[in-house]
Amino acid sequence: MPRRWVKQVAYLAAWLAAAALLGMFFGAPAWWLTAVLLLYVAHTLRHIYLLDRMLAGGKRVGPFATRGLWAEILARVDKLRKKSRNRKKKFHRVLREIRESTGALRDGGVILNAANEIVWFNPAATRMLGLDPRTDLGRRIDNLIRHPQFVGYLAEPGGEGISIPSPKIESGWIAVQIIPYGRDQSIAIIRDVTRETRLERTRRDFVANASHELRSPLTVLSGYLDTLADDDDLPESWQVPITEMLRQANRMTQILRDLMELTRLESAEADAGHGFVDVCSMLKLMVRDFGTVTAVQPALNLRFETDAALLGNETELHSIFFNLLNNAVRFTPASGSVEVVWRPDAHGAALEVIDTGIGIPEEEIPRITERFYRVDPGRSRATGGTGLGLAIVKHALQRHDGVLQISSVEGKGSTFRCLFATDRLVFRGGRAEAAV
Amino acid sequence: MEVEDLGQHISRRFNAEIVSLHSSVLTMGGLVQEQLDRAIEALRERDSELGLQVAQDDFKVNRMEVGIDEDCSRILATHSPAAGDLRLIVAIIKTITDLERIGDEAEKIGRLAARLAGLERPSTNYRELRNLARHVKQMVNDTLDAFARLDATGALEVVRADEVVDEEYESTYRQGITFMMEDPRTISRVIDSMWIARSLERIGDHCKNICEYVIYMVHGKDIRYTSVENVEAEVRQAIQQSEAVS
Repeated sequence: MPRRWVKQVAYLAAWLAAAALLGMFFGAPAWWLTAVLLLYVAHTLRHIYLLDRMLAGGKRVGPFATRGLWAEILARVDKLRKKSRNRKKKFHRVLREIRESTGALRDGGVILNAANEIVWFNPAATRMLGLDPRTDLGRRIDNLIRHPQFVGYLAEPGGEGISIPSPKIESGWIAVQIIPYGRDQSIAIIRDVTRETRLERTRRDFVANASHELRSPLTVLSGYLDTLADDDDLPESWQVPITEMLRQANRMTQILRDLMELTRLESAEADAGHGFVDVCSMLKLMVRDFGTVTAVQPALNLRFETDAALLGNETELHSIFFNLLNNAVRFTPASGSVEVVWRPDAHGAALEVIDTGIGIPEEEIPRITERFYRVDPGRSRATGGTGLGLAIVKHALQRHDGVLQISSVEGKGSTFRCLFATDRLVFRGGRAEAAV
Repeated sequence: MEVEDLGQHISRRFNAEIVSLHSSVLTMGGLVQEQLDRAIEALRERDSELGLQVAQDDFKVNRMEVGIDEDCSRILATHSPAAGDLRLIVAIIKTITDLERIGDEAEKIGRLAARLAGLERPSTNYRELRNLARHVKQMVNDTLDAFARLDATGALEVVRADEVVDEEYESTYRQGITFMMEDPRTISRVIDSMWIARSLERIGDHCKNICEYVIYMVHGKDIRYTSVENVEAEVRQAIQQSEAVS
């Protein structure tokens, strides 16, 4: 038991003993004892009352005992209050600092709860999204940011985030990324990407315009070269240079065509549409055409394990398959073989192009879909590619919600696999898992 | 009625249905906004492909309208809502009609933009049209914001902004006539651009309608066919009343 309590009990006992003594001396000890106890109760009640008033009003009212148990209790209450006041001050300061620092952030932040209702946002979010701190807390964010792409992303956040036009800033663009945290909460980070978007657009426009402008003079050149190459009166010494010039002019035309195709793929809508494309007959035709181009080339084997058709853009799918096939044929020696397989897959269907060619070093695989990236510059030029094929494949595939997988062993051969999701497929005849 | 009140019903299912109905109207609004944005972009960037794409995508807006319409009928039939809820649903039924019409106008603009993409353009690249479009786009955005926040004051501002759009339409129209008189070869092109202006002006009118429904929904006051000044006085009064009550 703490000392103050021992003291208190001792005090009470002393008083009671004194009362008993007086009672024995003057008679009626019970009355004496009762009187002392009553006094004690009154004293205690008064202090409880004062304490209660003090806690309720926050101020000290009336005189308290200056020593004894009550004085100590009071001192402790005071200390507690001082401590909590200090703590409150500290919290306020921290809170103010947090608010000031998030206010100074250039990126917007919006905290959302499980129902996508706005819990909090900073001034940058007000600037970029037009949210109003007076009215918008507790409102669903997709009611205020209504861009269909954002609404879709909100339903299934993940990946790199999206970029949409800013609802507030005139012709501004914002990038949004939603990061879940804690229990059912998420924070949306909003960045102003107006400048980047504009630069990107300028770059794209430049490439498109440059390719377009280069094409017309090139057409004239190849036209004359064509005529010259066919001319029987051409001196012997000119034949080789002219043929070579024609070859290079054709290659340049091809590069420009690929560049324009790539630019178109980049700037077009994210979705390729849902036209019906018969994969099997397209592949059959393509393989046959390959057979007629050059005599010396690896054996081409075509195998169908499904007769599924794809929903997408015919031209783009053709360019995906053509580029993969073309690569395989170019990088495989005539003694090797190229196998093309169209088969069902756990999540839909896959087109595989398996070659026994020169293969790709493992560390180069992530980079080969970059435009103009070449594993071995000397070799690729000799085989006459444009350096854009795989970039086109990647972009076109993205527009079909597809994924490109590449595996390769150097010197043994490579496998290129295009995965298509079920909702892009139409299964026909006999297949149970009919997809719409 | 405040939007917070949307979620204050005894039946939890009814609650959820009302809230999701309100949201789906805004999702439809978002789609319409995007359609309009893309139609204008097609005009600005001379992108005939994009213009045609917009025209093609109008079916999405129509599909949403049908879906929301069905939801409204179902809620009316199953919950027989009263007072504020009934007003909300009536307003939603009307709002989606106007939204769908805005979608139709966007479709028209897309089609016309695709046609204009192939023609010679004035040196200003249709600056006056783009200007008008900017106002109208802002109006559509403000309208949907007012609908989301059930904000009568905001709705009132849009009703006022419609006058500006009407004025701009008027001046675009006059300018078009001048062009045609100066050089008859431009007639077909200018007529197309005037159709676009007309569509934009119509979109402004639809926004105004929706804002009137918002005011009706919030305060139960029908302000159609009254002058802006009267409307303003009435709405201010209604706002004061509701503030006095709370």
